[in-house]
Amino acid sequence: MATATSGLEAIDQTRSAQPPRPSVIYEWLTTVDHKKIGIMYIVYALLFLVIAGAEALLMRIQLAVPNNHFLSPQVFNQLFTMHGTTMVFFVGIPVLFGFGNYLIPLMIGARDMAFPRLNAFSFWLSAFGGILLYLSYFAASGLYGAGSAPDVGWFAYAPLTARVFSPGHSTDYWTLSVLLSGIGTTATAVNIVATAFCMRCKGMILTRMPLLVWLFLVTSCMVFVVVSPLTAAQFMLCIDRYLGGHFFDTQAGGSAILWMHFFWIFGHPEVYILILPTFAFMNEIIPVFSRKAIFGYPAMVAASVGIGFVSLGVWAHHMFTAGMGPAGNTFFVFATMVVSVPTGIKMFNWLATIWGGKVQYRPPMMFAAGFLFQFLLAGLTGIMLSVAPFDWQLSASYFVVAHFHYVLVGGILFSLFAAFYYWYPKVTGRMMNETLAKWHFWLFVIGFHITFDLMHIPGLLGMPRRIYTYEAGRGWEIWNMWIGIGAIIQTIATLIFVYNLVHSYFRGKEAGPDPWDAWTLEWATTSPPPSYNFAVEPTVTSRRPLWDLKHPHDTDSSYE
Amino acid sequence: MAEAHNNESHLDQHPLSADVVRLPAPTPWPLVLALGIALIFTGMVTHGVIALLGLFCVLPAIVGWFREVLPHENHVDVPIVGEAVPVFTHRTTRSHATADTHQRKLLPMETFSIWAGVKGGIAGGIAMIVPAAIFGLLRFHSVWYPVNLLAAGGFVSWAGKSDAFLAQFHLMGLLAATGIHGLASILIGLLYGAMLPMYPRKPILTAGFVAPFLWTGLLYSALGIISPILDQRIDWRWFAVSQIAFGLVAGFVVNLQVRVRTPQFQALPFAVRAGLHTSAEDDEEDHIS
Repeated sequence: MATATSGLEAIDQTRSAQPPRPSVIYEWLTTVDHKKIGIMYIVYALLFLVIAGAEALLMRIQLAVPNNHFLSPQVFNQLFTMHGTTMVFFVGIPVLFGFGNYLIPLMIGARDMAFPRLNAFSFWLSAFGGILLYLSYFAASGLYGAGSAPDVGWFAYAPLTARVFSPGHSTDYWTLSVLLSGIGTTATAVNIVATAFCMRCKGMILTRMPLLVWLFLVTSCMVFVVVSPLTAAQFMLCIDRYLGGHFFDTQAGGSAILWMHFFWIFGHPEVYILILPTFAFMNEIIPVFSRKAIFGYPAMVAASVGIGFVSLGVWAHHMFTAGMGPAGNTFFVFATMVVSVPTGIKMFNWLATIWGGKVQYRPPMMFAAGFLFQFLLAGLTGIMLSVAPFDWQLSASYFVVAHFHYVLVGGILFSLFAAFYYWYPKVTGRMMNETLAKWHFWLFVIGFHITFDLMHIPGLLGMPRRIYTYEAGRGWEIWNMWIGIGAIIQTIATLIFVYNLVHSYFRGKEAGPDPWDAWTLEWATTSPPPSYNFAVEPTVTSRRPLWDLKHPHDTDSSYE
Repeated sequence: MAEAHNNESHLDQHPLSADVVRLPAPTPWPLVLALGIALIFTGMVTHGVIALLGLFCVLPAIVGWFREVLPHENHVDVPIVGEAVPVFTHRTTRSHATADTHQRKLLPMETFSIWAGVKGGIAGGIAMIVPAAIFGLLRFHSVWYPVNLLAAGGFVSWAGKSDAFLAQFHLMGLLAATGIHGLASILIGLLYGAMLPMYPRKPILTAGFVAPFLWTGLLYSALGIISPILDQRIDWRWFAVSQIAFGLVAGFVVNLQVRVRTPQFQALPFAVRAGLHTSAEDDEEDHIS
């Protein structure tokens, strides 16, 4: 009989019929696909977001009441250092580059980034940088018995980082992990610039390139300029700490101010490196949910380049209290104020896009609206702090903490949430649950405003930042209590968001290729897209290629 | 670009079918190289053996990566699966309602060039000096008082100086005030250049009175933060007069400049652009008149 084969032979036949496939883990570890790398960036950043968020919550519990001893001063110092470093280097940059990685090739009609292997290398370097930073909690005292997590603040001012004030290796963990991630960041920036310039599909001239890609291009160019000084400073700090150098040792002819300049020439543009990609998200989301083309495309491009350029010349407004002299103060006051001009252009153009449109308040647009309102307020307190005499009074107070959290949370995080809700259907093929999204939005808005609106007040009342506790009777107690309550509400909202991400992946409604009726190329392929992105290389004739396809009688190319 | 070149050479040897896409092959070497570098860094804070382990990762990773791309890049051929994604909209297509032509008037057909704004700003800035100098002469018997007062916003050490000091000539004060005044005048001139075409009917009222009063009101509320010394000593009536002088002259000079046509004008029918026909809106106005 034909079926009379032994069990062993049957297994053999099965093997020859289906060649062995690499395991899922091996597939992800070895991938050079920009979409998988983008997802890995985002997941890795979300993990660190949870960690750094938990650190923030611990700090707020400590500060909720006066004379609290929930945390020791040493642990508190480590927490604010790790929170700031993690949020900037291992949440902000990776999550934005994750979105860039995923979206840029799709939006320009390319099959992948210009250098796919370099792309994978960049991701893994950044990821190992984050792991190295957190290894400090386990390995530092474990192997040498010296030091633990870094505790010098995310800006690691000299001379606090000198061996004499920071013995052991805690500061070295900070330096080396940031250095490692900086190399990865620069490599990704190279990739984005090369991709934007060399990989665009037919017809996509620069003036038709999506604004998201323009913004990532500007961001990447800024990375070249500002990460290099930071990397140089990290090397100098390593030389000081390992080889006995004196770059930042004021007792031996070095300069602590030199570190401040090196750090802030990176540190302030870094805020723009984080905010420009979130502007990019707004440029895509606001038009689609206003059902109008973006208002003033050329002005938006020019304003983005203008912000990138001007922001390179404002770093020393972080150093007004260092005593730079009148000429330096005057220059940096005016340079900082000038940044508000291109930023204002963007704000007006977004409002003009919404004006007269048929606005749909779906979750991405709700978060976009929150972004517009909160970023405006954050910008106003920024202008206040740009004035040197005002800054002298409030530098290193909770007013400054409230201002930059208004930018980072009220601006960047809201924009990121909008981006998650907008592109999640493209990445997973599933819609996120809108009811949960609305709960997330309203709880987060309430929590955010309780925390960060009220945080300005203890700052104005003189509460310094970085203190681990305070005496009762200074008028700070009630505000800190409310700030802590707001932080808890934000935590609950974030947990709803995380639940929604996971739940919708398995149970979400099928999204289809274009659930938002959008206009850029990523919506012209399946959700999730195949590994090759597009079966046929697209050709575009305007800034909204899908609009043209959907409305052949009224194409944008007739007007542009 | 090298990748594309190699692609071509591969294509020459093995022509691809239309339903296959050639993509870079997955590779472990970027991961191994990054791990090796990270271990070398980790060795600096843990033990030299870890760094040595990192070096053992880096060396094969470099060789492996080179072999991945030389002499030809390693590719995989991915078959195209599924059908083409249809692009369509769920929205119902409706005929556009006829737009109210008066609404379109808000979008100017012509505007001013950037240089018109710069020239207006410079002229307005010069005009503004006149009332400021008169104020200085009448109140402090010196034209240098308003100059130094403006400059004092940039010089912290001048905050406590006497009126007599501010009434004297100081080269630093003159240079600083010239810079501040020049920059602010040009920026506001540019604003006028952009703003005036939006309100073409009453340029004197807009440029000469409305804008100066808005600007003066804005500064009145904010000057205490921007320049406390200027806020303490400024005479707001004279300041408003100098703003009106600026507005009138800047607005006048801007309006003298040649206008350039905007994309709104380009969107008009050729016959209208060529001057052979007037627009429908003008026809209507002619009819009414």
